[in-house]
Amino acid sequence: MDTVLSASHLTCRYGRTEAVTDLSFDVAPGTVFALLGPNGAGKTTTIRTVMNILRPSGGAATVFGVDSRQLAARELATIGYVSENQALPLWMTVDDLLAYCKPFYPSWDDALAARLVAEFDLPRGRKLGRLSRGMRIKAALVSSLAYRPRLLVLDEPFGGLDPVVRDDLVHGVLELAGQEQWTVLISSHDLDEVERLADTIGFMDGGRLVLCERFADLHARFRRVEATTADDSAAQSVSTVAAGWLGVQRAGRVVRFIETRYVEGDTERRATAACHADRVEVFPMTLREMFVALVRARRDADRETDKKVPR
Amino acid sequence: MLPFSIVTRPGRSLHDQIVFAVTKAVITGQMQPGDSFPSVRALSQELGINPNTSAKAIATLIERGLLEPHPGIGTTVARWRRRPASDGRAAVNEQIDRLVVDAKHLGLDLDDLVSALRKAWK
Repeated sequence: MDTVLSASHLTCRYGRTEAVTDLSFDVAPGTVFALLGPNGAGKTTTIRTVMNILRPSGGAATVFGVDSRQLAARELATIGYVSENQALPLWMTVDDLLAYCKPFYPSWDDALAARLVAEFDLPRGRKLGRLSRGMRIKAALVSSLAYRPRLLVLDEPFGGLDPVVRDDLVHGVLELAGQEQWTVLISSHDLDEVERLADTIGFMDGGRLVLCERFADLHARFRRVEATTADDSAAQSVSTVAAGWLGVQRAGRVVRFIETRYVEGDTERRATAACHADRVEVFPMTLREMFVALVRARRDADRETDKKVPR
Repeated sequence: MLPFSIVTRPGRSLHDQIVFAVTKAVITGQMQPGDSFPSVRALSQELGINPNTSAKAIATLIERGLLEPHPGIGTTVARWRRRPASDGRAAVNEQIDRLVVDAKHLGLDLDDLVSALRKAWK
């Protein structure tokens, strides 16, 4: 099997609102796939559909080759799912929760559960209802990691958590690293964590997948470019904006933009020519910067098309 | 704990950061030939990064002759051999260009640059 999870022309409607439109992507085994996108982009809907919590209005998703609508106990016993909005049995203690989950999973590993509980500093005898948000997510993660799932699905696991708890969760997720089957689908706004974990980035906006690419490739082709011109009159005009340049801005002698098709040497030459610059610098970008640049560029493009609508 | 110094920063490729940190540790003697090197899993856990990234960094280090794989036992620091001069020169030429441009731009002269290089060399 060359994909663990696959969506094909997936569409989801709530009433008349289309939350997810014609979404197609594949998650390869042994990789971490991150779904990113602004609030309301359709990430959670996608995940809930893939997990058979929602039914698709069109298209289909498969997990381990099984249609999401047919997912049953046998498949679910090898999938770990942790969501920000997960309903947990708040009257149970941490120990109760683990004892309750264990019988559902043939591959449950008591030693791993005990180790994670200790690493996470979870108070075993305390009721979930009396735990902090961070502790509750940790408890949910332990109950989903202890059976060594072949697929781990995390929906906004880091939302609103402090850096120490986020770090704990990352280490918990990495506990599975190195076992033979290890695939993760994660949606998150915590781009620093995603940057350390993701192999592939799927970027959603307005219910569509606008970009789906290996992070290493994104890293190679995105650069922040700063061109400095000799005199500020020249800076008034950028003669040609090359395809792939986003958010061209000027301030005094400096022209700044995002190059999305970086080729070493070539980008510098073209920037020098276009900006009449005598000094061009390029900087690699963090995932956070790429994310902001992409969202801004899409907003700007939308505004441009609005303007073109005949009055 | 990792046997070499590294503070990962977002933005630059993690693979390159690890390769650089290990190369530096081997050159400065922070790690000695024969020392055992962390597994893919240990490296991911310590740095909180994707194991595929750790695996790629270790593969690059093995390919560059800085680490030695011992199947079934693990990876160790290799006896570090100087690369042939021509090979090495091509690799650093580009960085020298940048260094010269930056130094000139900052108004340093050659003597300043040489003494800064001497200091870093030690």
